[in-house]
Amino acid sequence: MTNSEHASIEQYVNMPELLARVDNDSELLTELFALFQEDSPKLRDALDNAVRAGDLRQAEKTAHALKGMLANLSMKHGATLAANLEAAARAGDEGEIQRAMAAFNADETGLLAAVGRFMAGGEP
Amino acid sequence: MKILIADDEAVSRRMLEKTVERAGYEVTAVSDGRRAAEELCRPDGPRLALLDWVMPQLDGPAVCRTVRRKRSQRHVYLVLLTSKSSKEDIVEGLESGADDYLTKPFDPGELKARLLTGMRVLELEDNLLEAREDMRYKATHDSLTSLLSRGTILELLSGELNRRRSSKHPISIVFGDLDHFKQVNDTYGHIVGDEVLREVARRILGSVRSYDFVGRYGGEEFLVVLINSAVEKAMDRAEEIRKAVGGSPVRTTQGPVPITLSLGVSVSRPSDTLPLEEILCEADGALYAAKSAGRNRCCLGASSRV
Repeated sequence: MTNSEHASIEQYVNMPELLARVDNDSELLTELFALFQEDSPKLRDALDNAVRAGDLRQAEKTAHALKGMLANLSMKHGATLAANLEAAARAGDEGEIQRAMAAFNADETGLLAAVGRFMAGGEP
Repeated sequence: MKILIADDEAVSRRMLEKTVERAGYEVTAVSDGRRAAEELCRPDGPRLALLDWVMPQLDGPAVCRTVRRKRSQRHVYLVLLTSKSSKEDIVEGLESGADDYLTKPFDPGELKARLLTGMRVLELEDNLLEAREDMRYKATHDSLTSLLSRGTILELLSGELNRRRSSKHPISIVFGDLDHFKQVNDTYGHIVGDEVLREVARRILGSVRSYDFVGRYGGEEFLVVLINSAVEKAMDRAEEIRKAVGGSPVRTTQGPVPITLSLGVSVSRPSDTLPLEEILCEADGALYAAKSAGRNRCCLGASSRV
């Protein structure tokens, strides 16, 4: 994703699908995005720490958790990047882990910013 | 119906919780596998669970294995939630004891349909258990009086006699036979005769302790097993039964019917080695003596007097 600082949430989230999954409950949607804002950075830190410590089993588990959260929120691109990271950690491929981490972190930064703007009312 | 949701990831857990609540279920949500297993292994725990595959402490398949090992009374319907989609993973999940699996991210419609499937299976199991319990009751109880059947009370008596030595407690048996019951049937008809038998059964049951056994031995014959009762206590109890049965006429659809009961008592002490048949024979002899002595009385068996 490019121009991530100003990208709309639709570039990261399949909103029609997500709204259908929460039964068009905007209150629940807000609650879930808030959980995402809270938990996503923690998981990302845990992932960084696991990779830095060479604990690839833990890195795989954390990437798996991130993948699940992103998929549940219809953040398909992010989920795919987390899945790549999970696969790289499982394979123990250090080079691939670094590449996957970089791609994931870049997307995640833009995603969090988009969610932040959405939550602040910057988007409908 | 209470449903357990176990998922360590907060977004997924909250989405599941809300979807399941909206479908009309009560939800208990936990964030690790160990707590999920604890909840599900409680006797009154949830009977349907959605378990994430990857969780701290215990993963989903390990929770399934724990539940299947520990809780066998009633089936718990377990659905694994997984983003794993290979056949090997699915086979592993089902082999661990899961009943079904759902791929993540879940579709709310599919989730509700799977829950309904689980409910149907649990309902079917409940019906089967109920039918089995009903059949067990019918096989062990007399259909007219609801007392224990002859076979059941003899089986229980045999078990008590086998335990008698180690328990060091005497066991008494009381044979009761309604006096002139044929006349009741001949005078009022068999329907009234049945009403009398039902009421007599009720009166006998009301005269013994909760841990004594009462059975219908034959047509108008009753057998009572008194646990931990020596001669004096057994004779007192037999007398109470006699008074309870004959104390007032039985109210029937054809009006009050007077009835009396003759009883024979036999006592088996812990040191006795008499087999079941001989103990019954002694009580039967005592009953015969009660009949011969004019009915409506209690007599003690010859060897029980020693």
